[in-house]
Amino acid sequence: MSVSRRHFITGLSSLSLMGSPLFNARAEGMAKRNLVVIMLRGGMDGLTAVPSRDSILGKARPDIMVDSALSLTADFQLHPQLKRFHELWGKGQASVVHATNIPYTNRSHFEGQDVMQSGGHVPYGDKTGWLGRGLKAAQLEGVALSLPMPLLLRGGTTPDNFYPAQFQMPRDLIIDKVASSYHDDHDIKEMMDKIRARPRSMSFYTSSNVDDLARQAADQLARDEGPRVAVFDIGGFDTHAAQGGSDGEHGEKLREYDRVLNRLTRGLGGALDNTLIVTLTEFGRKLHQNGGYGTEHGYGTAILMAGGLVKQSQIFADWPGLSRKNLYEGQDLMATIDARSVYCSAMAACFDTDFEALRRGAFYGDPLVDLTDRLFKV
Amino acid sequence: MTKRYFRKVAFGLGPHQTPPSDPVKWAQSQLDEVPDITWDGPLLTGDEYLEKYGEFVHTRREILRPKYRNDRQAYEDAKEKLAFRLGEKYYESLELAVRHHTALNSKAPVFERLWLFWCNHFAITDKDFMPQFVTGPYHREIIRKHMTGSFQELTQAVTLSWAMIHNLDNSESVGPNSQRGKWRREKGKPASVNENHARELLELHTISPEAGYSQKDVIALSYIMAGWRHEWTKKRQECNPVKFDQKAHEPGNHEVLGKRYKQRGITPKNKLIDVIADLAVHPACAQFIAKKLCRHFICDEPTEEMIAPIRDVFEKTGGDLPSVHKMLMKVVWDHAPDNQKFHNPEVWLLQMVNMTGATWPPSPDMMAYDFDDYPSRMLRAPQKYMREIGHEPYRPDQPNGWPDTKLEWLSPELLIRRLTFAKRFSEGVHQPQDLDHQRMIAKNFDNAEEVQASIADVRMRRGEDVPMQIIFPSVWMLLA
Repeated sequence: MSVSRRHFITGLSSLSLMGSPLFNARAEGMAKRNLVVIMLRGGMDGLTAVPSRDSILGKARPDIMVDSALSLTADFQLHPQLKRFHELWGKGQASVVHATNIPYTNRSHFEGQDVMQSGGHVPYGDKTGWLGRGLKAAQLEGVALSLPMPLLLRGGTTPDNFYPAQFQMPRDLIIDKVASSYHDDHDIKEMMDKIRARPRSMSFYTSSNVDDLARQAADQLARDEGPRVAVFDIGGFDTHAAQGGSDGEHGEKLREYDRVLNRLTRGLGGALDNTLIVTLTEFGRKLHQNGGYGTEHGYGTAILMAGGLVKQSQIFADWPGLSRKNLYEGQDLMATIDARSVYCSAMAACFDTDFEALRRGAFYGDPLVDLTDRLFKV
Repeated sequence: MTKRYFRKVAFGLGPHQTPPSDPVKWAQSQLDEVPDITWDGPLLTGDEYLEKYGEFVHTRREILRPKYRNDRQAYEDAKEKLAFRLGEKYYESLELAVRHHTALNSKAPVFERLWLFWCNHFAITDKDFMPQFVTGPYHREIIRKHMTGSFQELTQAVTLSWAMIHNLDNSESVGPNSQRGKWRREKGKPASVNENHARELLELHTISPEAGYSQKDVIALSYIMAGWRHEWTKKRQECNPVKFDQKAHEPGNHEVLGKRYKQRGITPKNKLIDVIADLAVHPACAQFIAKKLCRHFICDEPTEEMIAPIRDVFEKTGGDLPSVHKMLMKVVWDHAPDNQKFHNPEVWLLQMVNMTGATWPPSPDMMAYDFDDYPSRMLRAPQKYMREIGHEPYRPDQPNGWPDTKLEWLSPELLIRRLTFAKRFSEGVHQPQDLDHQRMIAKNFDNAEEVQASIADVRMRRGEDVPMQIIFPSVWMLLA
């Protein structure tokens, strides 16, 4: 996969918040907390990333079993490509929520990726994302650091993004004049004003390869007045063929995730203590391998979580088991935890905002469970 | 007079183009035949590309990997040499140059806008080495060549193309009760269908979820599609033409949307053809395509009033594309005064180049390559430009292609990229020669005075800074 398909997005708390009560509260000594979401597009297989020690799994997947897995608990192992995650686990800075997913069961990537970002129930039913609405509920503003503007971050305030450019920008004077002489469309005009208000640091040339991006994101997140939300995007988890075990396509994708995690967690330094890094995917994959040594679109999967705000190394799950009667439609790992409860709790932990306010503001008041105390340090 | 129309259905009017007296007739007259690709440099066919692709993957997997298994550096060097020799770092740029050259120099610019639309409708995602070896020729040979027939013919050509079969994994599909399925089970291996292609054929290519099909329909269709695959050979790996392999086909008759599809004649090949024939004239398909066309050419939220005439022609003619396109041209005209559309980056760039006469893309001479070393900056420019503007036509992330609404395209950074390109095309190698701004604006904008004023304002303060003038109208070009 090419580097250009991965992008990261970073939310900056805006200068206009200087006077808000929230910002002042933080300024009075509360450390800034960061939330990083890594989107794993294509359907990340929780049973490949975090296989259960269950003989059913081996029988269902004779050709794509993960051998040489790393050990996590008596019941679960870890894919060997997730080396950094394993190190963090050893330090009490990584945990897993298993048998979980967003409430979406129709097996379409596009619908699923829409719902995982919107946080709603109906595909294409909402044009805003849960992280954007969460920022709004927490009275925070953000700048995305990505060329395309992901649905996940829409809905809070007007979209604002930044991504390192390879070509020279017109001078400030020209941009000023363009902006002031244009008055056709309100939305375009609003964007122009955003551009004019940008700090100079956003108009320099930087590399956009994924390592540099992760390092740069870490640098910015580490700053007290810097970003507090970052979103990465890794595609290619849709392994219908050649999924493989330890070495295959799915493992390669997990390795990419681990590389981003590595750069981020090392680059954050001390700020890692106040950071939470969670994964997001549209669905897991079917239990049984298919004819192409791959797997089909499924349902339940796992959320990988890392950073200093993780409460402890744990597999948090209401494990449904893998026998046929316990599978969703007889085919997939059942999701027993609504993933949105995890994300809502993550925002509560990171945004210093009440779970209830976020549940109402970002998730339509859906009956989600507050897991903040059980999953995160608060 | 709605000058905006030429920017809605084509790339605006260039320095040497005069406004036609009957714009709708002018647009409609461009839709009955497939205009020639205008590129007169060397160009490979899809088959030739596929052969190169096969050699590329075969050499990497079967020769270089075992040969250099203990020497990583030598392995990397050998891979790079192979990539140069087979054009892996060159062809995507070349194909983009061909695409843009044709869009800008075609005798039928309206056809070219529709070509870009259909390429994105039947999108091939950024998978394996498809952007380098497959997607360009697929657009030229599969999409373009079928735009003057019926939607059914186009859909059938797409569905059976190597590009789509490979992109959506249909080669991996094995009917559980097929011969191959039985062999696999005897060896204790699972055998099942891959639902990907069947799902997208319904969801994205023809009837859309609005039609209300179920998971059962998806599975039935994937049974019917099982067997349409590319042959695997050692020498060319997966890069062999698509054939119907009855040994992987799920036997029996399967029901899609309440209709049972049966074998006619000695092979069951007809079943998929028959399903496509029904999907392509389904009322939900007519509605889906009509609405999508309106969304691309008129406005983000098309009304029933816009959609209905196109849908009706689609239904009445059984999806005859020239008829559908012609009605679209009329509907766009009718609604042009009250509706503006936000252009995606590629269309916007081509519009700016066409209207100003800027120099783009590189000529066939400039795109000549020796297949011996890293391609020069010029040779890589088309690919790099599209990446920088945030719109790579051969690399959508998802099979639903690039987005098509303002909300999805409008953000500060993407807008800055447009300004960056406007600047880039105002000076240096791309700079238009002898551009008469006033004429360009008068020809292409209904609010010419307003646009003109924005330039005049700057000229007053900065003197006769001619190149910079493109930057100003380029922002007004975002909407048409």
